Amino acid sequence: MTSTHQTEPTLSLVDASRLHGEGPQAVRALGPVSLDIFPGELVAIMGPSGSGKSTLLSLAGALDRPTEGKVLIEGRDLADLSLAELAALRRRVIGFVFQDLNLLPGLTALENVALPLELDGSPLEETRTRALEELERVGLKDLAHRFPDNLSGGEQQRVAIARAFVGPRHLLLADEPTGALDSVTGEAVMRLLKSQCARGRTVVLVTHDAAHAAWADRVLFLRDGHIVDETVAIDSTGATQHGLPGQVQQNPAQHSQPQPLSPV
Amino acid sequence: MIIRNSFLTILAAHPAHGYGLKSSFEASTGGAWRLNAGQVYSTLSRLERDGLIQSSEADSPERRSWSITDDGQAAVASWYDTPVDNRSNRDELVIKVLVAVAAGERDMDRVLQTQRAATMRRLQEFTRHKIAAPPDSELPDLMLLDAMILRAEAEIRWLDQCEQRLQASAAS
Ligand SMILES: Nc1ncnc2c1ncn2[C@@H]1O[C@H](COP(=O)(O)OP(=O)(O)OP(=O)(O)O)[C@@H](O)[C@H]1O
Ligand SMILES: [Mg+2]
Repeated sequence: MTSTHQTEPTLSLVDASRLHGEGPQAVRALGPVSLDIFPGELVAIMGPSGSGKSTLLSLAGALDRPTEGKVLIEGRDLADLSLAELAALRRRVIGFVFQDLNLLPGLTALENVALPLELDGSPLEETRTRALEELERVGLKDLAHRFPDNLSGGEQQRVAIARAFVGPRHLLLADEPTGALDSVTGEAVMRLLKSQCARGRTVVLVTHDAAHAAWADRVLFLRDGHIVDETVAIDSTGATQHGLPGQVQQNPAQHSQPQPLSPV
Repeated sequence: MIIRNSFLTILAAHPAHGYGLKSSFEASTGGAWRLNAGQVYSTLSRLERDGLIQSSEADSPERRSWSITDDGQAAVASWYDTPVDNRSNRDELVIKVLVAVAAGERDMDRVLQTQRAATMRRLQEFTRHKIAAPPDSELPDLMLLDAMILRAEAEIRWLDQCEQRLQASAAS
């Protein structure tokens, strides 16, 4: 596989920074950071508390604006979009999942998943069908009529993932979605995200858990607002899914085959 | 001692030839540990010398069928009853970091970062095996993968913690 991409990135940051305050007092929450994330990729972001992970996600999801640089979604510079266009982008392209409090307690799982479509003005019958479809994909069709209070934490996160991908949405930004789950449930959530990416959907996730980050195609390490390192997983053919010359420190010869496991 | 005790454990379940013992051991450890014929036969002859196993008469060592003795059964029980003491403090990575800190290395971030990236790649590789593993995979394979994944994860957490401690101590 070559390192050049024919496809357009789903998400790009170009020298994007976020400063709070002005002048010498300004706090640099992030940046400058540049990155490209491509369709079908699962990218994990790791880093200590305060390193800028949530800030990066907020910029990527148009919840916040960079004070310098650009954020592009599917080639469109977010700075050029009107408020109405940004809102439409959040209904049709981007879904969010957070560590908790993802679902509206007064709505059933199905109603929660259908919400973005309803807000987008889709016909009621269609929102129901699509929402059920998406719940089936995360293995929760049978629990569609439960209220969030009657779902486990892991089930709630799966509903939130279904909602984040319902209808045309295909970019999921997740801030510690496994943070409140035990490791086996967290792994089930990672498996689900992985399968969503296999369908061509794109996931950017913040996690403190290295074992969960390892499910990603790429892991970015943030320190003090900067990407200080990046590791790329090797697929079974020995190719990296997305070659990034210059940024990736690895020896392909050494990693070209999945090695037989040996005792450490 | 691990090979010795493992052979006893297998023989406690059923008698076996040398080659069968080697295959059982390798299969039960998910292929993590391959034995050569020399190791197999020297282990067997020590176990026989100590009266823990016995064999049928045969013209060549390969054809002897081994079975466990009462003393051998007792040795297996005592192995099970003795927790493994895994408190080695001579992990190469730990020593490397401690020595570098003691030597006043200024760029500890680089040392930690290099290791963290390498360990993350190892973790990604194990996770790829896990993702690729069919749902009906052999239990030893999955349990071995779990062990390696958790060990790599612990290493990364330790590196994170080192970084935080070094930052805190530099700030004070
Ligand atoms: N409104 C704000 N005003 C001033 N500083 C801010 C503001 N929002 C965030 N910051 C600072 O920006 C930095 C990055 O914050 P961010 O929330 O992105 O970190 P994080 O990596 O998500 O941390 P955590 O792992 O704790 O969630 C922090 O130092 C934070 O204090
Ligand atoms: Mg955060």
